Amino acid sequence: MIVCVAVVGHQNNPLYIQSFTEADDALKLHHIVHCSLDVIDERVNNPKKSGPTLNETFLGLLYPTENYKVYGYLTNTKVKFIVVTTDLDVRDADVRNFFRKFHVAYVDAVSNPFHVPGKKITSRTFAERVSTIVKSFGLSSAG
Amino acid sequence: MVGTSKRLPAIQRLVEIKTVAEQLHFKISTLLLHGGKVGEAVTWFRQHNGSYRRLVGTPEAVFLHWEWMSRQFLVFGELLDKSSAAITNISSLALGTADKPLSEWESRPAYYYQLAAHYLKEKRACLELALSMSETGNEMDNGAESVVPSAYVGQFARLLEQGDEFAMQSLTDEEYIRFAVVEGKRFQDSYEIIALLKKSYESYSNLKVQRMGSFCGFQIGKEYYMAGEFNNAKQLFDDIASLYRREGWVTLLWEVLGYLRECARKYGTVKELIEYSLEMAALPVSSGTDTQMKYRENGPAGPASLARREEIHKDVFGLVIGESGLSSVERNDDLKITLDNPLHLEIDLVSPLRLVLLASVAFHEQKIKPSAPTLITLSLLSQLPLTVEIDQLEVQFNQSNCNFIIMNAQRPPLAATADDKQGHRVESSSSLTLSTNKWLRLTYDVKSDQSGKLECTSVIAKMGPHFTICCRAESPASMEDLPLFKFEDRVETSPTKDPALAFTGQKAIQIEEPDPQVDLNLGASGPALVGERFIVPVTVSSVGHAVYSGELKINLVDVRGGSLFSPRETEAYSLDSHHVELVGISVPEGKDETQLDTDEINKIQKSFGLFSVPFLKCGESWSCKLEIKWHRPKPVMLYVSLGYSPYSFESTAQKVNVHKSLQIEGKTAIVISHRFMLPFRQDPLLLSRIKAVADSDLPASLPRNETCILLVSAKNSAEVPLKLLGMTLQEDNEDTGRPCSVRHEGEDLLEPALLVPGEEFKKIFTVISEDDSSKLTIGTACVTWTRDSGSKAASVLTKQTLPDVNVESPPLVVSLDCPPYAILGDPFTYLVKIRNQTQLLQEVKFSLADAQSFVLSGSHNDTVFVLPKSEHILSYKLVPLASGVQQMPRFTVTAVRYSAGFQPSIAAYTIFIFPSKPHFKGAAVGTGG
Repeated sequence: MIVCVAVVGHQNNPLYIQSFTEADDALKLHHIVHCSLDVIDERVNNPKKSGPTLNETFLGLLYPTENYKVYGYLTNTKVKFIVVTTDLDVRDADVRNFFRKFHVAYVDAVSNPFHVPGKKITSRTFAERVSTIVKSFGLSSAG
Repeated sequence: MVGTSKRLPAIQRLVEIKTVAEQLHFKISTLLLHGGKVGEAVTWFRQHNGSYRRLVGTPEAVFLHWEWMSRQFLVFGELLDKSSAAITNISSLALGTADKPLSEWESRPAYYYQLAAHYLKEKRACLELALSMSETGNEMDNGAESVVPSAYVGQFARLLEQGDEFAMQSLTDEEYIRFAVVEGKRFQDSYEIIALLKKSYESYSNLKVQRMGSFCGFQIGKEYYMAGEFNNAKQLFDDIASLYRREGWVTLLWEVLGYLRECARKYGTVKELIEYSLEMAALPVSSGTDTQMKYRENGPAGPASLARREEIHKDVFGLVIGESGLSSVERNDDLKITLDNPLHLEIDLVSPLRLVLLASVAFHEQKIKPSAPTLITLSLLSQLPLTVEIDQLEVQFNQSNCNFIIMNAQRPPLAATADDKQGHRVESSSSLTLSTNKWLRLTYDVKSDQSGKLECTSVIAKMGPHFTICCRAESPASMEDLPLFKFEDRVETSPTKDPALAFTGQKAIQIEEPDPQVDLNLGASGPALVGERFIVPVTVSSVGHAVYSGELKINLVDVRGGSLFSPRETEAYSLDSHHVELVGISVPEGKDETQLDTDEINKIQKSFGLFSVPFLKCGESWSCKLEIKWHRPKPVMLYVSLGYSPYSFESTAQKVNVHKSLQIEGKTAIVISHRFMLPFRQDPLLLSRIKAVADSDLPASLPRNETCILLVSAKNSAEVPLKLLGMTLQEDNEDTGRPCSVRHEGEDLLEPALLVPGEEFKKIFTVISEDDSSKLTIGTACVTWTRDSGSKAASVLTKQTLPDVNVESPPLVVSLDCPPYAILGDPFTYLVKIRNQTQLLQEVKFSLADAQSFVLSGSHNDTVFVLPKSEHILSYKLVPLASGVQQMPRFTVTAVRYSAGFQPSIAAYTIFIFPSKPHFKGAAVGTGG
């Protein structure tokens, strides 16, 4: 199950962060997302290490914490997507698929002429779409 | 691996299993790491961790599980730490398998320390729970003392003392738990956790992984906070807060600030408490997407919400205005802001408190005259959630006499203002209320008498009797976005109503000098001539101001830019490297003391001068003359500026400047040219001429021992008439003696010759080379002239060195001999003389072409031999057939030895034929050539 998704901007500032847990650990999730930026930084600055994933938007598993797994995605415009899941056994393909859908939703949201680039995404439609995608992720991995 | 032993009760059995597993795991990991197989060791650890993390055990013994887990991570982290010293480059190792890749973090000890701390925290929580449950049965503690590890790994037994004998008695699970709880109480988990996190924190900082490091720091800070070590906690939190501020993680920042605020409160530092509280109140938390955030472990900050911000806001302003005092925990005295303990906050351009109060100041104009009023707009913005009432605003400038105070008309004037702000202008405004994200715009006029820069430095807001915020003024044009709020999707408004002013407004204004009331005149007429001391009269006349400590600055600048000094020509003209120089400044009569200054100027700089002007009363005038000398024809800008103070001699007094400039053309007055002439119809063969025909730059050659004529002409190329006073030819080096004699034809000028523009003055010199040297130095032509202007202007000497000439002895000289004129039909003799001046026999071919107007007798073509040192004469008889100017038959000579042909010039062939014999009256004219 996805517990948190985040969009992080150029200055590593959060543009959108939403948690999907019943438990009250949003702050912890924020910390996890923030920490995972370090991993992204390292991956981006030392692309040699990631080898085959050069020039790929999907950054793969960023780092495992005790209960969560964090995946990252970097768009062409250097906006980062971060997903935190509780599933300990996730197929990469599922995560890739999720990010693809999420990216489309993000592109639609920032294409809104009333959206100022670099500012937080406050669109309600975007939030709804994201929660739909998050829910469908749970289903597809179960099925 | 889970054994089938039925001897031990459930809890103890699990403990035993885990202990054995731990031992095995430790050995395997050590071996793997020792062999450098980091990847395998990590995979192994993961597997070990995966197998046992679910084996939590019964609820009352959970803390044992977490303690065990923590130990696993700690031990593996330490093993890795030791081995990673040997293995330098972990990341280059192939990690993990394809389906379960290992991230690089898993090979770093910091990761394990962090998790060890995490599990230790879990253990602490569970232990506290277990303690609270077992508190009722405290009396049973005594039984735990005799529990010891038994002979087998992971087993415990009660040691029974029966006389001299010891016996081991197995424990029940309840007894074991009791023992474990008592054991657990002995450890101070907090310090253990801090130590683990610190290791992790340091390791991350070494790797420059600042965000993970900050997270560890945050956890350490929390532990310190809970342990009551607020000072340590505060330091950590301050570091972390700056990172979160920079990256705009508002929720995280909120949490950290909550801790900081509590630390300040516990410590009793009012200033920090208020700073942190204000910052929290102004954070953009309400508009975040995750607004429904609930915290399980709520920090002291409380939930990040608008309601909480408002609460904090009210708290702070209650304290500031003095309505309530916050009680400090650490000290007994209340935190209060009083007369003895006033609070002053500074907000500069990088302060996080810019959110709380931002002052933007814009002048409506960029430049004003002194004493002229101009408008200034003062805009204040606050992001505090509730409206704030300001009692009084003080606007400060760099010129302190411009400072003014704005009072809130709705508030009674504060007592403190009367004493220290005397003499400052006091304005009053109907309302000084700041609402959230809304500019408070105030426009007032300002005037300054002092010229220079007038800059608004700061705005001081006073709220309550003893609380002030000093906010550095910012220009709207160069104002940076508000930190944190720049990522928010909010309505952005400009600080001023006029959008143009918001883009260009500056907090500083230039105040001009007062208008000068002194006239400065440069009275130069016409172009200057090269060589003369050109005089530019400068007149300073006062028309309204008296001139105190006046100073005249003179600058000569090349019109085309650049200096008057060209480095390329430095070597050649080291003496006068400036093409135009300021020679002197002279004061008309009897003010000799100033002459000293001019000497100094000449020494210092040739294109710059500084000259002091005596004191002038209103209406007086003073003048001086600048003497400028041109060495080259060149246009020049002359800048003269007068700086003076209109009121007093004090050096600090304000200066007024008057500037004048004038472009002056420098022109060449006299152009000297020269040419050499040989005697008519006599042509020596000069060998150097035949060799190099193409190269025209070759110096002129003269035959030796012949009389030559040097014609020197001086042309007036200026636009004004000049008087020529004399022309001479000077020897350059008198001591060596001249290898030739130069004779003047005629005396020196008795009276000056007037040359109108374009006219030429010529003078003839005779040059006879006498010596054997091959070079002949003619000397320098010197022309003395002056302007033909009634006044007695000083004469100017223009010199030009004439180029050297070569001297050679010609081997052959050909001369034509014929009468000066002829008469139609009257025969005359035409002689061609070829003189051989060498010791050799010269073979000479000659030919004579027929001419239309003459009948001719004599040979046309022939070759003759001219004997050494003798002359061969060819004689022809010619009868003219036509009258007027006629060409005689053309004559060509070729010297075979030198393969040099010779043809005399057309002028030499030309002769005038009279139709009949002329009758000349009076004096005989024109008998010469």
